[in-house]
Amino acid sequence: MAVESPLAPASTPRFRFSLTKPTQEQIVLLITIALVIVFGLTLNGFATLSNLLNLLRSISILGILGLGMGLIVISRGIDLSEVAIMAGSWSIALIEMQHGMPIGWACMIALGLAVTIGVVNGVMVAFVEAPALFVTLAAGFVIYGLAFWFAPAWVVYAPKDAPALMFLGAGRLFGVPVPIFVFAVAALIIHLFLSRTSIGRFIYAQGDNPEAARLSGIALRPLMVLEHVIVALLAWIAGLVWIGTTGSMQMAITQGTMIFDVVLVVVIGGISLVGGRGGVFSVVVGCVLIGTLLNAFTIMDVNSEVQNIIKGIVLLAAIVLDNFLHPRDEETARQGD
Amino acid sequence: MNDTAILSEPAAGTGQAREPVLKVVNGAKVYGGVHAIEGVSFDLYPGEVHALVGENGAGKSTLCKAIAGAIRLTSGEMFVDGKRVDFEQPRDALSAGICMVYQETSLVPTMTAAQNIELGNEKLLTRFRTLNIQAQQLLQSLNFHVDPATPVALLGTAKKQMVEIARAIYNKARIIIFDEPTASLTPEEIVHFFHLVRDLRARGVAIIYISHALEESLQIADRITVLRDGRLVITAPAKTLTRDALVQNMVGRQVAQAVYGRSASKTHERREKVLTVENVTMGMVVKNMSFSVYAGEVVGVAGLIGSGRTEIAKIIFGALKRNLVNGGTIRLRGKPIRYRVPRQAIDDGIAYITEDRKANGFFETMIVDDNVYIGSLATRAGFSFLLSRARRSKLANYWVERLKINALQRKARIVELSGGNQQKVVLAKSLVQEPTIIIFDEPTRGVDVGTIPHIHAEIRRLADEGKAVVVISSYLPEILAVSDRILVARTGRIVAEFDAAEATQDKILYAAVH
Repeated sequence: MAVESPLAPASTPRFRFSLTKPTQEQIVLLITIALVIVFGLTLNGFATLSNLLNLLRSISILGILGLGMGLIVISRGIDLSEVAIMAGSWSIALIEMQHGMPIGWACMIALGLAVTIGVVNGVMVAFVEAPALFVTLAAGFVIYGLAFWFAPAWVVYAPKDAPALMFLGAGRLFGVPVPIFVFAVAALIIHLFLSRTSIGRFIYAQGDNPEAARLSGIALRPLMVLEHVIVALLAWIAGLVWIGTTGSMQMAITQGTMIFDVVLVVVIGGISLVGGRGGVFSVVVGCVLIGTLLNAFTIMDVNSEVQNIIKGIVLLAAIVLDNFLHPRDEETARQGD
Repeated sequence: MNDTAILSEPAAGTGQAREPVLKVVNGAKVYGGVHAIEGVSFDLYPGEVHALVGENGAGKSTLCKAIAGAIRLTSGEMFVDGKRVDFEQPRDALSAGICMVYQETSLVPTMTAAQNIELGNEKLLTRFRTLNIQAQQLLQSLNFHVDPATPVALLGTAKKQMVEIARAIYNKARIIIFDEPTASLTPEEIVHFFHLVRDLRARGVAIIYISHALEESLQIADRITVLRDGRLVITAPAKTLTRDALVQNMVGRQVAQAVYGRSASKTHERREKVLTVENVTMGMVVKNMSFSVYAGEVVGVAGLIGSGRTEIAKIIFGALKRNLVNGGTIRLRGKPIRYRVPRQAIDDGIAYITEDRKANGFFETMIVDDNVYIGSLATRAGFSFLLSRARRSKLANYWVERLKINALQRKARIVELSGGNQQKVVLAKSLVQEPTIIIFDEPTRGVDVGTIPHIHAEIRRLADEGKAVVVISSYLPEILAVSDRILVARTGRIVAEFDAAEATQDKILYAAVH
């Protein structure tokens, strides 16, 4: 009876490979590898080291945001204010820098703002029991309005001589752009958090079956607040990278489709909207797939309308695949009874 | 199957039709290897009221759902007017003239009575006036005093039921299935309802009548069919049956003797009174419920669905909230308690093991070990920030061994386990929290026969360890097998209490029904 050694790892064994029922990550990974090979053979300048590094750098911001979104979707929630948190908190911080506030202080203000919004979101969802979709959508509008009030500009530029502020976005280590390292470290930390800590297990449990989690004695409400705070923290880090990359913060992105790109990379990689499924690897795979497509489109000079159409189709395909892999009907629901 | 019991002669009101309007031959429905119904042959004549009786889980609902097209039979054939039919969805059954009136009403609350009657048959353009007039005429012809322009949400239970019936008539239903129609009606309303059923019968409508109340079935039905464990026991004219005969057919089972043998009954001296429930009230479901539980005993709670037995357990556990004013008192070792969330109850050593493990019992994407480990992590004593693989296997090994969980399935996700193993994991997940009061709600529902003794042995063992155990079950042999003391709940109250030695199935059923 004492089965000691061959126990599955602490996370759910989602790397079990079976030919009959591959997981969504595996399918997406195979598609991505196939695409990279096809593009590498057919497109000039795709398979160069600099282009591949560029590809990875271009997805790192999306990836960092995706880690937060992934975590909260695993818990069966959603946070549509993530991009707004990033843009709003940093716009205000940059304005303060322009007004002469020390850079360190301004960064802390951005952090404080982000965390506060995260707490408010979490409290609204957990204690007021308002649907996360609407709470965070509304929060996005409020942040947009407030930020415009304090910083009435579409584009707020960062101070010229602030190498420390720019480092995460613009720097290079060993010839590799720093954003890639930031994404990698954030991914590793979130992965360890989800798979090696009890809080991470609770997040999966909540996404799997919130009522069972409640009846098991898991304190769901503080947990939900924590999840929204983690999302806000990752938005803050992504904002730091964004400023380094572009030298500015644009409020316009809160009005664009960026938040849907974030949801896209999460869902494609196999983090099911049903909750409790997928992990950090899903976000990474989803990001690489989208990055590969966008990079190839840029080389092929495909216009942005067509890019949007293809993104939309990929998202639909991912959701259909999710439904196919996790069917829900009376017959399957009663398996094992 | 007792063929001689099935009489060929229909005892119909009008009595002319010899051809059954509905016939089910050898119907079977299998859920994950377990037969919900098996080899059921059932027929129904025009102008006949045919009652279906049986305990919870006997297969009445499964049979009716199959007839109404909500589920498909795994094997067997169905004939309407002698023609073979195979309904894929409720719509198909409806167009064949079969209509089910559900226990929980299936009306759209925000729409008016008239709109609900017409639901699903709307023309592209309808004037409200025309709609209301049509509905008014229909309701009047049925002698229903319902205003067609009132939103259904504002109607009482009895009137809602009238709207449902009117809808069935509007759809030209020739077969109407009533699922527990009188459960939420007052006595006067029941009398009115019976008039209505007789009226429908006189119109030649065939009626299937599911009810727990045996007297009602005897009173209203022409024929009665008893189901037990998914099999048809007897079909006979109501005139030839008595209440005792029905009860005997409902409960008398051979399997029961083997699996539910009374455990060696040793006399437990009563120890500390750990839990007291005084006049607890929650809405209309639990009304002034009072009882006590002592350490070292197993208290069985019997009662029908809707008697408030599950709700009181959830109130104690903090999963449901009793009335804030006049909600009564719950005492844990003399100290009054009122939990906001289950977490507080768990910290105080109370465990509730759910009746519906699929809906809220386990984490389906996780393996056995993780389910057990999460139970421990969720307690104050068992919490640790970092996961420890060693502690996880230690806990899981202990409970896998103690509850005899199939060790071969340990690395499978829990959805892939058999019902019995799933239930054991749910048990382990709660017991790992080291509770001193354990409430089991339907501990062996959907559990294979071989596993039931393991679970009963565990219940007994917990009591012998000095814990207070409450077992809620609608399955009387189970109650009799595990309990030291038996409480019977009915309409939100505890109405009877028996010592295990003096209790019989008849006595309990009688108390639970009337």
